[in-house]
Amino acid sequence: MIKIDALAKSFAISRGQKLSDSEKQDVRYSKEAFHSVRNVSFDCGSGEVLGLLGPNGAGKTTTLRILSTALQPDSGSVLIEGVDVLKHPVQARKKIGFLSSSTGLYGRLTAYENIAYFARLHGMSEAALKQRIDELFTLLNMHDFANRKADAMSTGMKQKTAIARAVVHSPKVVILDEPTTGLDIMTTQTVLDFIRSLKQQGTPVIFSTHHLDEVASLCDRVVVIDKGISAFSDSFDAFKALSADGDLRQSFMTVINATASNREHN
Amino acid sequence: MWQVYFKELTELVRDKKTMFFIILLPILVFPVLFGIMGLVVANVAKQAEAEEHRYVIINADKAPELTEALFYHKNFKKVESDLTDPEALKQAIRDNQFDLAIIIADDFSADANNLTQSQWKVIYNMSSQLDMIDKYFNELLRDYSKKLQLAKLDSLGVTAEKVDALLQPVKLEKVNTAESREDLGEKIGGLIAYILIPLCLAGCSYPAIDIGAGEKERGTLETLLICPISRTSIVLGKFLTVLTTGLATALITVTSFGGWGYVIGSLMGVDIVAKTMSTLGVADLLLILMMLIPLSAIFASLLLSLSIYARSFKEAQNYIGPLSMIVFMPLIVALMPGVELTWGMAMLPVANVALAIKELIKGTIDVGMLLAIFGSTVVIAAALLAFCVSWFQKEKVLFR
Repeated sequence: MIKIDALAKSFAISRGQKLSDSEKQDVRYSKEAFHSVRNVSFDCGSGEVLGLLGPNGAGKTTTLRILSTALQPDSGSVLIEGVDVLKHPVQARKKIGFLSSSTGLYGRLTAYENIAYFARLHGMSEAALKQRIDELFTLLNMHDFANRKADAMSTGMKQKTAIARAVVHSPKVVILDEPTTGLDIMTTQTVLDFIRSLKQQGTPVIFSTHHLDEVASLCDRVVVIDKGISAFSDSFDAFKALSADGDLRQSFMTVINATASNREHN
Repeated sequence: MWQVYFKELTELVRDKKTMFFIILLPILVFPVLFGIMGLVVANVAKQAEAEEHRYVIINADKAPELTEALFYHKNFKKVESDLTDPEALKQAIRDNQFDLAIIIADDFSADANNLTQSQWKVIYNMSSQLDMIDKYFNELLRDYSKKLQLAKLDSLGVTAEKVDALLQPVKLEKVNTAESREDLGEKIGGLIAYILIPLCLAGCSYPAIDIGAGEKERGTLETLLICPISRTSIVLGKFLTVLTTGLATALITVTSFGGWGYVIGSLMGVDIVAKTMSTLGVADLLLILMMLIPLSAIFASLLLSLSIYARSFKEAQNYIGPLSMIVFMPLIVALMPGVELTWGMAMLPVANVALAIKELIKGTIDVGMLLAIFGSTVVIAAALLAFCVSWFQKEKVLFR
């Protein structure tokens, strides 16, 4: 379904930019560039939910941005249903739905207009988008505030609108970048329910998170990214089995510590 | 591209701040401001004219005629003082005891047979822009001198008929070839350009910030970038939006000034405005608009490039402030007295358009030069737009 192979992406460091001490210790910094993502590979099948874990600054967001075609990688490949995302970005974009917790809405447009705008940019006809939005409004229980401007919405309403917008074009894969960070419990529940419903429809979901309970309740596969490298990529059960008592926190630390000691050996 | 354009316009129309800048400011606020300014200036001038100046005159008895004329002048009021020393008089004026001291020379005599020049002294504060004391006193002195002159010439045997030939051997009659429109255009044409061009810039800048940096600040940029339309279409849609608002501001302003001008002109009976409006044909107005389109396109591309680079509204505003200053520089050059539209000036962006607008209002534009200015402005606009498009493809600009 989705196959990511050996992704790498570096950002140029402007001349005269001083690196902090912690940055100097990061192996990914060289004199000219910051190698944010060095070698990330994983795959995700139909109907699977993949959880992307990793410390802050590990390269999760960069990886997801490459997946969603917002950024171009230096090397590596991304295949979605056999379409090479890097060679045919416009074609691939039609298959991708993307959402992050920081995603905003156009404040002066209503929920309906926000969603319809992106539907039109995705090339949907007026009739088709009308029907689809109506469907989504029912699914997410949004009819009450369909004509309310985004500026006047609560966080929960905004997140629902953002979700509807991300999937208005019926994407083949949904990518979520820390979708629950900074949200209250009710809104988080909306997001998690939505991921579950996608899973039931057989749509693969890739999402990054810091919440291990979300991983436990939703994920079929787990990928841990550390210092720009996918240090772990396997099933959820294999991840759980990394610690003796099945504590996910322990499993995560095992992966991180293993890469750290590998580096010291080298 | 049009999807982006219409959505941005919808959003801008709903924004109260934008509407304030584009519509309310030019239609109501500016004319009111200019009106108040005009009233204040007129009032100040009137007050200065009506002001009464207290004076002290030394050796008044030597020139009784002048003393009398001064005494009866409505803007002068005699004050008694014992002071005679210039330094002491100066200090007294500084202490606001009176405003003017006139010292007639001790040896002065109004006698017609006295043929020596006499040196007098006036002491007052000359730092005023409207030096009314100078004006009034000189008028009096001129009349007085004239009388003395005639009397003295008469004593030398010069008869009244010969006086003109002696004092002013050549008399000049001036014939103006400039049409009244050219004259008026020279006076207000530059001012109109000075209002129109910054308005285009102002009309462009707020929307540019909103749909460039605003997109980043709200976190909608990423979603927009991963839509299956090219980044070029996104930029062009945004560019057209900014261009539209810039031109709309200029158009609305011109219309509103024209309208207000007509109303005020007909109410106050000032026909100068009506005259200007009638001399400017529709073709001239269209040509002015034609010149403003590529110029606004330059502004729109520049502002959009800056705005899309900025991470937030605030950052964008910081970049756009200096840009406005840079735009004002050539505009001021174009407004300097004596600056004419030459081929050299035609190569200076912004200034050339300002001068062309002035020439259009004067009705003395050189068509070849007009085309050259239009062409060069279009070329610059196209280059900047191309830059903006390629700028928008760069990751280091979009994801800073």
